[in-house]
Amino acid sequence: MASSGSGNSHEAWGSRIGLILAMAGNAIGLGNFLRFPRQAAANGGGSFMITYFIALLLLGIPLMWIEWGIGRNGGRYRKGHTPGMFAAIWRHPAAKYLGAVGLVVPLVVMIYYTYIESWTAAFAWFSLTKDYWGHTTQEGMIGYLQSFQAISPEGAPVYHKPWTPYAFFIGTLFINIWVLSKGISGGIEKLAKIGMPILFLFAIILAGVVLFLPAQPGIGATPWQGLEFIYKPDYSRLDEPGVWLASAGQIFFTLSVGMCTLTAYASYLSKKDDITLNGLATAATNETAEVVLGGTIAIPAAVTFFGVSGAMAIAQGGSFDLGFATMPVVFQQLPFGNLLGVAWFGLLFFAGITSSVAMLTPITAFFREEFGFKRETVAWSLGALCLVFGLMHVYWLQHGVLDEWDYWAGTFGLVVVAVIEVILFMWIFKPSKAWESIHQGADIRIPLIFKFVMTYVTPVYLLFILGWWGWVDAIPILLNEKSAGGGVLDPANTPFITFARAVIVLFAITAVVLIKMAWVRNKYDDRKGFVEVDRSGEGA
Amino acid sequence: MSTSAIFFMAGSWTFVLGLTFWSFYKLMQDKKHFDPDGIGPAGPPVPAETEQ
Repeated sequence: MASSGSGNSHEAWGSRIGLILAMAGNAIGLGNFLRFPRQAAANGGGSFMITYFIALLLLGIPLMWIEWGIGRNGGRYRKGHTPGMFAAIWRHPAAKYLGAVGLVVPLVVMIYYTYIESWTAAFAWFSLTKDYWGHTTQEGMIGYLQSFQAISPEGAPVYHKPWTPYAFFIGTLFINIWVLSKGISGGIEKLAKIGMPILFLFAIILAGVVLFLPAQPGIGATPWQGLEFIYKPDYSRLDEPGVWLASAGQIFFTLSVGMCTLTAYASYLSKKDDITLNGLATAATNETAEVVLGGTIAIPAAVTFFGVSGAMAIAQGGSFDLGFATMPVVFQQLPFGNLLGVAWFGLLFFAGITSSVAMLTPITAFFREEFGFKRETVAWSLGALCLVFGLMHVYWLQHGVLDEWDYWAGTFGLVVVAVIEVILFMWIFKPSKAWESIHQGADIRIPLIFKFVMTYVTPVYLLFILGWWGWVDAIPILLNEKSAGGGVLDPANTPFITFARAVIVLFAITAVVLIKMAWVRNKYDDRKGFVEVDRSGEGA
Repeated sequence: MSTSAIFFMAGSWTFVLGLTFWSFYKLMQDKKHFDPDGIGPAGPPVPAETEQ
């Protein structure tokens, strides 16, 4: 049999609570607090919640267990990356190349996600220093945001130095890479243990403040009308495919399935460790952050200060307008508003960073396990790569390159990865082996109905989403008939978008070449598989 | 808030909070993974007064 790679490169979690906090931190991101309330309000309120929970049970939680199962199975062979994990499941030469998407997708998402994360760090600072105080209208704050992003329209006032977005991006990226360089137990787990309690503390404070906001003069709306805006059921929309797809999409993004970070984290578990209860606890924690806290902050605050129709218009404008323009307007009208602003943007920052540090874990594991590089060397080298292409997003934001990457990697790419995972694990690995693998060391038995769900319902659900999105969005975007950010594509942006796509293709080709090099270097035999290194639970 | 909105909000919150509390209750009950790296003891340390 072939060996299992280079060096003593495998790590472990320090504690079970650290693992769950890191997994939940990975799942809880900006989407929990910005995307969820918008989606709920725009897609039928209570009706959206029905489809949302159906998607959670048929898509989210099953995929969660599948990813934990694939990851821990890979860890048996010291494979913390998808090329190795897929090759461990399917002894076929093609399996390792399918894993290339699991290296490229999280890398690409990490690059632009860190840039967005840097906005939250910047706005936490601007809140503390009251830098945006005085911009008391939605339009005024949008102008301030655009000034920070250096995309102000011609002749519009500029409030920031040109280097400001670059400084915050570089600082945020540095923190991410520093945490990554400290490893699983010493970096990521410690960050989760510090960041997650702060995140929940900030979210609970903000939700409490928002729920008791008084009705504003001239508006007359209360936060409870904001909750009604999210939860009031519009049953007529239950027969719309768009509502079902929106809820499935939200479940998909919020749990970070398809990002290959759950699989990477789970690879650091042994056979005797539970994944059924850990997976469920992680999903449940994420859902509490999203449904209970995420739904209680931004939209109810917007409704209180702008009325239902005003909040609806803001929600149509997008998540960033809601988070970076509306909320600062609200904070300026509250006592200790600058501290509440720090809490809001601090919450978003911790939600972001606990997700982004996870995204370089798969590719770090690949270089360490297959080429024997030191963790610090890999982390800082990847940091340099992220810096170069991250600067592209800072400099070309107005040309749609971030939207382009977000669509192909952060939206479509996630579904592609999930389809590959579920087919490999449930169909090629076989349902009985997958079920047995998931239950090794399990603290709870998963109800047997989920074996049927994971084998048939989840893959069909995913293939339907992939086909629908492919037809409605992917093909028109690829043909430049519409922009990835929505709306009509500006022909002036075509060269930038083409370049952005070419970079993703370049990453994919590089990943395939590196996988080939790794297999040759380590003399892996695709048909024989890897040597098992996790012997825990045997002869004990 | 309308009755139907309260119903959906209460149902949603009960479901996710119930799932969270139940899963963490089960986690707290479990002693098996006290030492997940497998190096140390399988169970928690025995309190000093019990040893005496």
